[in-house]
Amino acid sequence: MIPLLLLAALPCIEVMQGAEGRAALAAAGITRICAESDLAGREAAATPGITARAGVASPTRSPWVDANGWRFTRRPDARFVYDVPRGKAALAAAEAFAYGADAVLKIDPADARDVAAMLTFLEGLPAADLPAIADLAVVDDGSAMTGEVMNLLARRNLLFQVVRSPTPQFAINIAIGSAAYPRQEAADPSAFAQNIRRQLTDERRALRIYGSEVVIGRLTGDATRTRLHLLNYGGREIEGLRIRVRGAYRPGQAQVAGAGRITLEDQVVAEGATEFSLPRLTTYAVIDLEAAR
Amino acid sequence: MHRRSFVRLLAATPFLQVPSGLPPLRVVSKYAAAATPGMPGPYPGRVVAVTSDKSVDPSTGKADDETVREMMARGMRTLTGAATTRDAWRRFFDATDVVGIKVNCGGYPHCISAYEIVAETVRQLTGLGIPVSQIYVYERFQDQMTECNYAAHLPEGVQSVAAERANRNVDNSGYDPATYLEADLFGEEDTRSNMMKLVSQRLTKIVNIPNMKDHGATGVTGCLKNVAYGSFSNVARTHQNGKSHTYSVVGTLAAMEPLRSRTVLQIMDGLRGVWHGGPFARTTRYVFYPRQIMFGTDPVAIDRLLLDIIEKERRAHGAISIWDRSPASLKVNNTRARDADPNVNIIIREPGHVEFASTLGLGVYDKKKITVENVTV
Repeated sequence: MIPLLLLAALPCIEVMQGAEGRAALAAAGITRICAESDLAGREAAATPGITARAGVASPTRSPWVDANGWRFTRRPDARFVYDVPRGKAALAAAEAFAYGADAVLKIDPADARDVAAMLTFLEGLPAADLPAIADLAVVDDGSAMTGEVMNLLARRNLLFQVVRSPTPQFAINIAIGSAAYPRQEAADPSAFAQNIRRQLTDERRALRIYGSEVVIGRLTGDATRTRLHLLNYGGREIEGLRIRVRGAYRPGQAQVAGAGRITLEDQVVAEGATEFSLPRLTTYAVIDLEAAR
Repeated sequence: MHRRSFVRLLAATPFLQVPSGLPPLRVVSKYAAAATPGMPGPYPGRVVAVTSDKSVDPSTGKADDETVREMMARGMRTLTGAATTRDAWRRFFDATDVVGIKVNCGGYPHCISAYEIVAETVRQLTGLGIPVSQIYVYERFQDQMTECNYAAHLPEGVQSVAAERANRNVDNSGYDPATYLEADLFGEEDTRSNMMKLVSQRLTKIVNIPNMKDHGATGVTGCLKNVAYGSFSNVARTHQNGKSHTYSVVGTLAAMEPLRSRTVLQIMDGLRGVWHGGPFARTTRYVFYPRQIMFGTDPVAIDRLLLDIIEKERRAHGAISIWDRSPASLKVNNTRARDADPNVNIIIREPGHVEFASTLGLGVYDKKKITVENVTV
């Protein structure tokens, strides 16, 4: 294994298969290797993507998305390690970056070039240290049940902030085990997340994504600008993704991994939100929006 | 055009008032209805049914081109009362039109919109002076169009168009982001079904050529289902896990502008049919041969007749009714059981979607008010 050290905001890379792996990294232009100390005491992150889960009932036809954003949101100071099979490394790198996670990637040498390309793309993005935007709060009791609720909320692009106790900042504060959110309701996290969605209403959501059920967004921003991260877990490029972001924004551009700058299309501002189409979404894209004056 | 000019307000559209128990549906479209919308068009409640025993050889499934042409000519003349076939087509189209031919590829290989009917339609349209470049044969999925390969049966230059490469929900660029039906049916995240850009932005007229087929979620798939579900994205979400919302969604989509106004002619291809397992026809086991083509402008009236045709054929084979809602017949998501046994439903069907469409003004459902003119060739 060869640990690689990259920029602080980017995931650290480790490659399996010794000398062969090292050669693959070198050929891909990845030169900065993690220190051994970077590998210790890390929590496992799931392999990102979509999976068929036989026997798992789903109320919709939506594929099952394995994603780590909820973990990163829940424990922003934790250190993670991905151990990803071939074909998943670039997505894992983008996911860690999108959430600002401290993560090491153990990758298959065959993915070295893809990861190198992704890291180059991530390094080239303009800095944007903006706070996360959320529609609701989840009071974290540290339980697995609450974690699974966070997972299902994230999969539905129901943006949440993790808090220690209910906060007046949000109209919805989910505290599992409270009178409003009893444990028996949370035992089915998918149905629970759906109920939260109904409570919030789609109209009031900060982010809606149309045209795919395998794209998860992370929204950050302040009064003047917003950054939207889009992660495509489906493994296939998506064309014509439609996005709705709460607030009024000027026409913008997307920076799409592997595709460069792409102008957003068919932008409209209506009913307190801005809608636009992203012509191409590969594995990852970043959209920076300036608030309309 | 400056990009800022694209930034404009969408008209706020309330969710439609629907009967109790039906999901709220929100139609978003900037298109106004034509003075006389194509559906139900100039002939509400009127259907011409042309039958010919010579049209298809049931032993081979092969159609006779000449007979089909004659059936088409007689049907169009009878429908319109025109003296000539050309004049009959001229009632609907002129040389300036950009015409879409909505075919049905879902029943490949045994029951798709017949090449002979599609080719004759193209021949009549070009005969009116419409350039081949203004004629589009269309479906939602390119892989299905490739399988069916209409181009091999049509003059060079006729466009074969699909909105998506395949049914994988990754290709939305062929759909109009500003024209859609919004509905949360099963808690799905993607709550929109968008109209094909081809329909909203390019075509001026549409000829609808469905097949006479059973359908596991709607009871039958005829004029309404073919033109509605074949012109919008993300429609499979309406029926899953035993439950179908097609009752109200099919008609609502068909009634959306500009689809409703531009769909001016219905040609129901009943040369072949499917009485079970539809909309698919991967084997000939459930294929039958009505050897009939129906003509009209009223999709509800034709589909009302189709309900009886499919029901009658199912009864002849001892299969449960398309109206059966018995839990005993329901094996949710078990397509293998459905394919093996015509007494199995995988979803409770909603043949009532045809009547519901009539309540939206798309046509006449009451059989007593439907006039059928039978022609034999």
